[in-house]
Amino acid sequence: MRALGRGLAALAVAAVATISLAGPALAHNQLVSSTPGDKASVSTGPSTVELTFDQPVQAGENLNTIVVVGPDGQGQWQSGKAVVKSNVVSVAMRPLGPAGDYRVGYRILSADGHSVSGEVKFTLTAAGTGTPAPADEVAASSGPAASGADEGGVPVWVWIAGAVVLLGAGVFFALRVGGGQT
Amino acid sequence: MTTTRTTTYPGIAAVLVVSAIVGVLVGLAVTAAEPVPGLPEPAVVVRVGLPVVRVLLDMAAVTTVGLCLLPLLIGFDRPKLAEPVLVGARRVAMLSALVWAVAALVALVLQTAELRPGKDVSAAAVWDYVGTVGAGKALLFVAAFALLSFALSLWSVRVGESVPAELRAAVSLFALLPLPVTGHATNWRWHDLTMISMELHVMSAAAWTGGLGAVVVLLAANRTLLAHALPRFSKLATICLVVVALTGVFNGAVELAVNPHTPLFEALVSTRYGVLVLLKLGCLVALAALGAKIRWRLLPAITAHRGTALVAWAGVELAIMGLAFGFAVVLTRAPVS
Repeated sequence: MRALGRGLAALAVAAVATISLAGPALAHNQLVSSTPGDKASVSTGPSTVELTFDQPVQAGENLNTIVVVGPDGQGQWQSGKAVVKSNVVSVAMRPLGPAGDYRVGYRILSADGHSVSGEVKFTLTAAGTGTPAPADEVAASSGPAASGADEGGVPVWVWIAGAVVLLGAGVFFALRVGGGQT
Repeated sequence: MTTTRTTTYPGIAAVLVVSAIVGVLVGLAVTAAEPVPGLPEPAVVVRVGLPVVRVLLDMAAVTTVGLCLLPLLIGFDRPKLAEPVLVGARRVAMLSALVWAVAALVALVLQTAELRPGKDVSAAAVWDYVGTVGAGKALLFVAAFALLSFALSLWSVRVGESVPAELRAAVSLFALLPLPVTGHATNWRWHDLTMISMELHVMSAAAWTGGLGAVVVLLAANRTLLAHALPRFSKLATICLVVVALTGVFNGAVELAVNPHTPLFEALVSTRYGVLVLLKLGCLVALAALGAKIRWRLLPAITAHRGTALVAWAGVELAIMGLAFGFAVVLTRAPVS
């Protein structure tokens, strides 16, 4: 019974520590509204697409992406990178081309560090004169970026293999040291 | 290395880990979303690897917590009988704390990779992630606390129970804390309450699962120690069950209630998050039933030092706990949609 009491005391200490440590407000974002709206019909192409979330989005380079795919499912119609302003993420649009369904795909980083992705659709009723973004621009906005931070990167499996080796070495060390007991 | 051979049931621990991984895969299948056209997807090794590493992290944490609580459950009045068991417990706690720390670091790398689909991961990118994202800092703290727990266990392997068991238990429980803070919990007006509730949920679940695992794996063959430890654990488990149920229902309801699109009860069945909440609720009901069976049917025989089918029943209970942990990993990451 005494031991149980001690265990509960340990729990209580940890609980108090939690409460004093409770961190900043962090949450999982949800899309609240968009311009143009989901499943809306527009007669002329919008100059920007805006996505409004219920909570602020984590701003940062390459953390948030918006891609607008045209009726052919291939061509991309956004111009440049997504811009974050508090809980609104927007991207400039090229003049749109053929009439039909456009799909706005997004992946944003919520304040809790989880990435949230989804899409909204809108329909262009009257064809415009625009052309989709050229391939090199698409690569620059959504593909692998050649930013300085990425130099010297290695594939994920190398990291995992490294961790396994580290773990193995740790276990070996621990058993050697622990094994010294008589 | 141990001079006295003690009978243990390591297979039971394997049941827990395997069912946790099954739980993750089921959860992933439930929440699988169509890829969004035009958006680069993270590689498969990241999409599946991250939840699996997270559940391994949880299992290492649960194991460490359970083994650190074990001396408190056994008590200190039978040192001669307990020592051979505790020697093994300390050694395994040391190794699981190490797995815990390494899993946290791997999860950090995978979460960095998740944000940069199609790109390799450099140390600078990981550091950048730690700097900008709260979850990165949390994982770093977890790794640090797990290493501290490892160091304490290593010390206790060398010097025995003179390292206070309370200290080891507290450090291992403390290391559970950083991650939930960066989970879903929302920032509406009850935010502080959901945060505390989430922390209590995680600590209770870990103490409950870890305690049961440690008692069954290490003590089931030793009737005297079992007759000592199980009644104590049973009290702890009852508290944990109540806390897990209350906090779990509260947090699930809050997360669904703040969803701006669907009303609460509709969200429960129509969203993937809601389905996972229901699955976990099902696990909880099953656990309560199994716990009641052990408490009222098996415990009287065990305190009378008679043999029982405890290992089988507890094995089933641990398997369900593992499933719940697997669902939990997916749940904390699933959007309410």
